[in-house]
Amino acid sequence: MRPVDHEAESCYSCGYSALKAAEKFGSNQVALSRVHDAAHWLRKQEKDVLNTAIDQLEVKFPQMLFCAYLGLLPENLKMSELGFWLLNHGQVKGAEYARPNENAILVILDMKTKQVGISLGYFAESLITQEDGYRALMKARPNLLNAEYGEAIETIFRRLCKVLEKRGKKLRKLSHEELQAQSKALNENTLDLPQHFAPMLGRWWRLRAV
Amino acid sequence: MKRPFLTASSLVLFTAGIIAAEADLPEWSDATDAEAYTLGGGLWPIGLLPDGAAEAAREDSPAMVAEGASTPTNPDGSPLTFYGPLTSAGGENLGVGNTTGEGLDEPAQAPAIEALPPIDGELRNLYFGYPPVDYLIDPQRLLTEQKSNDIKRFLEFHSDESDFKIFVMVIGETQEIPESVDLQELHREWFSEQTTVLMVYHREHPDLTEFVYNEGVRSALSQPVFERIRQNCLREGAATEFAPDQVEKMAIELSIQLYWLGRLMNAEGAEAKALSEAESVFDLPASADAPELLREYAPSIFLQESSQRAISILITIAGILACLVLAAFLVLIIIWLRNMDRIGGGPLIFPNWEPKPRLGGEFSGGGFISMSFDINDTSSEKP
Repeated sequence: MRPVDHEAESCYSCGYSALKAAEKFGSNQVALSRVHDAAHWLRKQEKDVLNTAIDQLEVKFPQMLFCAYLGLLPENLKMSELGFWLLNHGQVKGAEYARPNENAILVILDMKTKQVGISLGYFAESLITQEDGYRALMKARPNLLNAEYGEAIETIFRRLCKVLEKRGKKLRKLSHEELQAQSKALNENTLDLPQHFAPMLGRWWRLRAV
Repeated sequence: MKRPFLTASSLVLFTAGIIAAEADLPEWSDATDAEAYTLGGGLWPIGLLPDGAAEAAREDSPAMVAEGASTPTNPDGSPLTFYGPLTSAGGENLGVGNTTGEGLDEPAQAPAIEALPPIDGELRNLYFGYPPVDYLIDPQRLLTEQKSNDIKRFLEFHSDESDFKIFVMVIGETQEIPESVDLQELHREWFSEQTTVLMVYHREHPDLTEFVYNEGVRSALSQPVFERIRQNCLREGAATEFAPDQVEKMAIELSIQLYWLGRLMNAEGAEAKALSEAESVFDLPASADAPELLREYAPSIFLQESSQRAISILITIAGILACLVLAAFLVLIIIWLRNMDRIGGGPLIFPNWEPKPRLGGEFSGGGFISMSFDINDTSSEKP
């Protein structure tokens, strides 16, 4: 895998960027609910149970944003692209200020291709590794095969919450200096280059949309 | 000229002197003048060792014979060798006739068996007149002295260690207990205050041996128990033909059996009696605490009931299975707890830091993990 730094306008591998996503999906903000069932696959009971579970998880993790998107994606739309765009342009209803999109864990189910994915914001990405996410998906696989999508999403969230809990306990033991050193180490994974203009551009787009 | 001549003449004279001198050489003495000695220094009977000088001196030496011995002979007519205690008194030397070493492994020949008198009169008083002082009652000295002492020591040792006392009464093989003597009554009279077994042994006839127990002991356990003790003792006695050895082996076996008899009485008592009376001798229940030693020394005296054994095996198997099930249950609980996504406790706050954005994304840099759950598509995708 090639390094991706904040200076890069596009992915070194596939050439994808926020600009290209904006060209494709639009630069406007979209309103999302925590459980956004665009495909109408979930029954009300399942949705209620899932919302209750998310409520519990949000109490446990006041900073984290848990949301799910179920849809029938067109063939020219990749789940990873959708996840990336939704996290940068979506506004989840009911999400407090303390839960920005960079703290979001977004589960996407494509009912057409029978695929499930997890998009992570920057902050969530620093807490959850790809291995943890993959294990969570694998644990939900039996539910997905049985078309128990509500339970599957809940299982994924709960599994990721266990990871967050372990990670939080470890971080709690660290001193302030150690936390700063860790934060610095996370940022040093990218190249030390000047600030990218894309976030500013994004804000400008948002302001223009409003 | 003078000097060589003198030298030659001195040599001649010296040589002639040597030749003329007579050497004092030792001479062999006549056989009749040789000093007679006995090979072995008198430790063994004269004539036992094949020594020529001793053979010669044997004719003049005094004879050593066994006290009170007759003159037993081999089947070919030659006299037997006697290796027992010797005495200078007596007629002829029994060791003279056999110098070939035959019969060295034979035990000491018992004195000639005389017809033993019936137990009557003074002899009757010696046996039954008074309560015995020693644990071995042998007024006729029918056993060898050494064995008698060994048996006495053993019986004394047993009496110190056990609650059951053993008294051994030895009578001749042709002798009988007088009809006027009731051994059970005698036992009650002599040993009423302590648990005692009186073993009446007939010399070289262990099958005639009688065992007399206290009435209390008799009533505590069933008859087959005592019969089995008797059989075990007789079996030990039959292992040898020598009377002192028979008494010794039977006494040892009786001691062992009495130890377990005491254990059985303490452990089972009347309940065991009722059970053993209801069953045959081969189905006697085992004592609850009978250890392996019991099976080693008396494997046939206390046979474990087959049904009890089967039940114990079943209980053991059931216990093992229960332990396995319990262990499996605990493992399952642990696995379930580990897999359960239970989130408890209070709110968890993470420290904030500001990661630098990527790909122009304000909130997400495109981190994505996906997997297919289509049955026909088993491949999964990881970015």
